[in-house]
Amino acid sequence: MQPLTIPATRCSPLVEFDPAGGRLRIEGESYPENSFEFFAPVFAALAEALEAGTGPVTLELSLSYLNTSSIKCMIDILDMLEAAHKSGRPVAVLWHCDRENDRALEMAEEFKEDVSLPFSIVAR
Amino acid sequence: MSEFDLFDLQTQLSRQNLLICFSGPFRHSIIEELGLAVKRYLEQDNVTKSALLDVFSVYVEQAQNVRNYTMRREADQSLPEGSGIVVIGREEEGYVVSSGNLVLAEDVAPLVAHLDRLSGLDKAALKALYKEQARRPREDAAGAGLGLIDMARRATRPLRYAVRPVGDRTTFFSLAVHV
Repeated sequence: MQPLTIPATRCSPLVEFDPAGGRLRIEGESYPENSFEFFAPVFAALAEALEAGTGPVTLELSLSYLNTSSIKCMIDILDMLEAAHKSGRPVAVLWHCDRENDRALEMAEEFKEDVSLPFSIVAR
Repeated sequence: MSEFDLFDLQTQLSRQNLLICFSGPFRHSIIEELGLAVKRYLEQDNVTKSALLDVFSVYVEQAQNVRNYTMRREADQSLPEGSGIVVIGREEEGYVVSSGNLVLAEDVAPLVAHLDRLSGLDKAALKALYKEQARRPREDAAGAGLGLIDMARRATRPLRYAVRPVGDRTTFFSLAVHV
């Protein structure tokens, strides 16, 4: 499996997926013109990694703003990880938040409410 | 003979304490550029990060709603190439973000029904509705059906709208969100 790198743009986040280390990192803001199209390669890469291996997968997020369409995509990503968690795969989510950004903190906590997988929110 | 003079328009706009007013086709690049300008103005206004993000989110959601709708109606040829208007103004207790665009008359009733429903819900009910909608399969190529609910959650009062028929087949729809 190839690593995936999508450089950040003004309206879309940096995405770095390292399949060997099982680390998917998404960082920045997300309000692209079509979030579904933007996240399609991310879904595909994650699906492949979850199907192909057995090692741990960590989703590391540092997102200060998501439009609602991106939030839907993030929910879909979390649902994939939750399904893997329920079938015994070691997965975890780590969300870095800016201490002064209440909205991002609230968003992270809302995502956490809907999953049972290990989910840490770290405020910096 | 009439002289072309923007003074009256600008005076009218200035009276409303506007930060930004844009009228025209909502290309994604325009939405981005205006978004940057919005952030910069608000940073100068010394607002909290949450307040800035509330205004920014509500702006992005409205602008993208107008863009997605006008693109969809242009694609199925039920409306000519669309344009819209977005306005951000400063008020005593916060900001108001408004938008307007032409919609097909047949699209008005479901939209108004949705907004009327939202205006009757408290924060907890809005959150529950949001979560329910978020888990539904996508119906629309671009959106998730969450924008209006998200705006209603951030707003300091129920979302306000106005509808004005334009010809037989179209209506001008305006939305105002106070944050």
